[in-house]
Amino acid sequence: MSVKFSVNGMPAEFDGPDDVPLLWVVREYLNLTGSKFGCGIGVCGACTMHIDGVAMRTCVMPVMMADGRQVTTIEGLSHNGDHPVQKAWTELDVPQCGYCQSGMIMAAASLLSRHPDPSDADIDREMTNLCRCATYVRIRAAIYRAAKMR
Amino acid sequence: MSPVSRRFVLTGAALTTASLLVPITVRAGRAAESYEITDWIGIAPSEDVTLALSQPEVGQGSYTALPQILADELDADWARVKIRFVTGKAAYKIAFRQEPPAQKEGASMSTTALYERLRTAGAAARDVVTRAAAQSWNIDMAQCRTENGFVINARGERLSYGQLAAAAKLPLSAAPPLKQRSQFHLIGKPVARNGSAIFGTDVVVPGMLNAAIKSARSFTGQVTAINNEADILKMSGVRAVVKLAALAIANEDAGSQHPRLPHLPRYNAVSVVADQFWQAKRALDALDVVFDAGGAGDLSTAKIDAMLEAGLNAERGVTALIRGQPREILQHRPSEVIERRFVLPHIAHAPLEPVNATASYKDGAVEIWGPVQSVTACQEAVAHAAGCSPDDVKVNVTFLGGSFGRKIVPDYVLQAVQASKAVGRPVKLIRSREEDMQHDVYRPNAGGRFRAVLDDRGYPLAVHARVAGQSLFGAVRKSWLDQTPEGAWDESMVDGIYNQSYRLPHFLVETVDTPLPIPVYFMRSVGSTAAVFFWESFISELAQRANLDQYAYRRNLLADDPLALRVLDAVAQASGWTAPAPPNTFRGIAYNCYIGRGGRFKTYVAEVVELARVGGRLAIKRVFCAVDPGLVVNPNTLKAQIEGGIGFALTNTLKSRITFSNGGAEQSNFFDYPLLRIDEMPQIVPIVLASDRPPQGFGEVVLAPVAPALAQALLSATGRRLDVMPFPDDAFRANA
Repeated sequence: MSVKFSVNGMPAEFDGPDDVPLLWVVREYLNLTGSKFGCGIGVCGACTMHIDGVAMRTCVMPVMMADGRQVTTIEGLSHNGDHPVQKAWTELDVPQCGYCQSGMIMAAASLLSRHPDPSDADIDREMTNLCRCATYVRIRAAIYRAAKMR
Repeated sequence: MSPVSRRFVLTGAALTTASLLVPITVRAGRAAESYEITDWIGIAPSEDVTLALSQPEVGQGSYTALPQILADELDADWARVKIRFVTGKAAYKIAFRQEPPAQKEGASMSTTALYERLRTAGAAARDVVTRAAAQSWNIDMAQCRTENGFVINARGERLSYGQLAAAAKLPLSAAPPLKQRSQFHLIGKPVARNGSAIFGTDVVVPGMLNAAIKSARSFTGQVTAINNEADILKMSGVRAVVKLAALAIANEDAGSQHPRLPHLPRYNAVSVVADQFWQAKRALDALDVVFDAGGAGDLSTAKIDAMLEAGLNAERGVTALIRGQPREILQHRPSEVIERRFVLPHIAHAPLEPVNATASYKDGAVEIWGPVQSVTACQEAVAHAAGCSPDDVKVNVTFLGGSFGRKIVPDYVLQAVQASKAVGRPVKLIRSREEDMQHDVYRPNAGGRFRAVLDDRGYPLAVHARVAGQSLFGAVRKSWLDQTPEGAWDESMVDGIYNQSYRLPHFLVETVDTPLPIPVYFMRSVGSTAAVFFWESFISELAQRANLDQYAYRRNLLADDPLALRVLDAVAQASGWTAPAPPNTFRGIAYNCYIGRGGRFKTYVAEVVELARVGGRLAIKRVFCAVDPGLVVNPNTLKAQIEGGIGFALTNTLKSRITFSNGGAEQSNFFDYPLLRIDEMPQIVPIVLASDRPPQGFGEVVLAPVAPALAQALLSATGRRLDVMPFPDDAFRANA
């Protein structure tokens, strides 16, 4: 069965088993490797993309669930890396190893689209992605900074 | 243009030990594209300055701080600097304790070991471009200065480094003058670098196939049957099913990685190689493979804990340190002895990027791409496995998506090499999270038994500290063990106990090795994550028994060490320790001097953990952290290490535990081996003290005091003693 969807505004089609995780379709066929493999069970969030604007964990999302939908990856979040969340991340130099950060940025962008003026409780509830380097102090600060830019 | 190639050996005050000799080559680049000045700096007529980075970037900030040192001495324009990861020269190797120099990130050594070397290289290049400019103006060098990529003369005329790139042909000075600290323009500044990173999992090599693997869960297990290989080979994209041997790791003492286990030929894993990774994974999931557990199949946590208990109860351990008559005093005053015991488990590194590597084996030469923390160890292990010379192994280091010591051990690289050799194509092998976690090289377990008699003022008269557990050095670095007539002891087991400056007139420190067939390795902060928890918790106990203030008690015991007092006083002042705690606030304080391997550096750390009672729960609200790290190259990356290091230690303290059954690890993914999340991360208050000392190590130093300071705060809040890590969740239940 063929699955048709858009990735970062471009049409995409996958002709293979419909239960292949979206993450691997995007990484291996579209060569967009900004979204990462971390746990394979949807816990760590390194694979986070936006599906119709909402953050989803794509390592456990069968590609068929993307059929007819708009997928946005870190590569398509903004044209020049100038989304407020990306700018805030750069200004506060959030990443350490960096592996989780594309997922974090996608989760934060999704959070801010629904909560433009988030509280600590909103961040605690929504930002459940894992960072082994524990860059959480700066992630929180960068979310507040991005909220002020909007 | 034929390359002008000369070799110099820099000597002088900056380089004091033989292992720090810097061979410097001067070579004009092809067609004047870029001129190499020293092993570290390339200058192009286009004004691009390329700085060599020899230390893998694992998240600790080497990518910024090390080029920053070069660029400062060079007086380069930071905005025009490009960074290139380099291998293959002696200049890129540093010495770790008693072992040959290696190109490797580890032991918090990068900045402290390379600081003088990089400054000298930067200064040598600055000197040579200045000399070239002086020659073209026909003036004395002393009339020239450098700034932001230009040489400027007294009349204000300027020549750019790009215009002077051909100066690479001039001889280098053997002892270029270094800057004074007051002349630094980048060192000490919070500069940052931006850009996207390529990790090992992102590597694409022409003709590459992808591999997924499944291993025997038992550490001694092996493949006994594959029942449906023919069916699997018919699946979409599948190219091969390859059995993988568990190979010894050549960078360790011979055969010591699994010291009591047979090595070859033990096939403990199967890989499926396919066109795409998802195809390999899908086929692997369908593969019917049977394993047996092997000789250690009866390994279990109950057995490990019983061994630990026996070690703690043993009549004697191996003496690491003895001063005065501790045994006699403790023996003669049994009713006064205060005793505490502690236990903590094996834990996994769990970097967010699972271990992975891309290998291409061709005609006896091997090329590797991936997250490799030690280039030298990887080359040696691959050469050993592939039967070639380390020089025939080319390693291309990507960014490392976390490592914490894990990616020094190249077992996953050897698996990729075997798969590539079997299929005759480059292969990228990615371990699943489950494979990564169940086949980690774990931080060893440890137990502590501490006994003391106090003097009439309440301070320790005699202390007997014993640490038991699986010895890290005994398992992987036998040459690092300290030999005594009683046997060998492992410094890492008592790191932060035997080498501190507490006043202890009668003091005995012992270790007891309880050998296990569990693969272990260095993990961020190594033994201090256990030993300092034990030690500082015991000091807390003694202070409480003496009814003395925890800060004042430590201050008294550390009175002979002014640098220790400096960090203690700083953290006490910042946290308002001497004023009564506000309502519903509870605090704990702890101290450690982190001493680099072989005494290479000393970084002083004191921390205060502050708990707040919110409803029926205690929450970790703030952690104050005072450090004396010597000269700070980059205050931004240093503060990042304080923040992240404390978060990392909180995961260790509250969540991490690997248990064992049937010869293997039980936990497999983040649902049963959770990490700290953002809602559990406290505010961090860093206090960085200015220092005249050169840069000391930093990546590991803030972890150890977190657990004992937290335990002390919880004791103060609830009266409950915490002696087992991870701390149980109900320890945070607040008393009404």
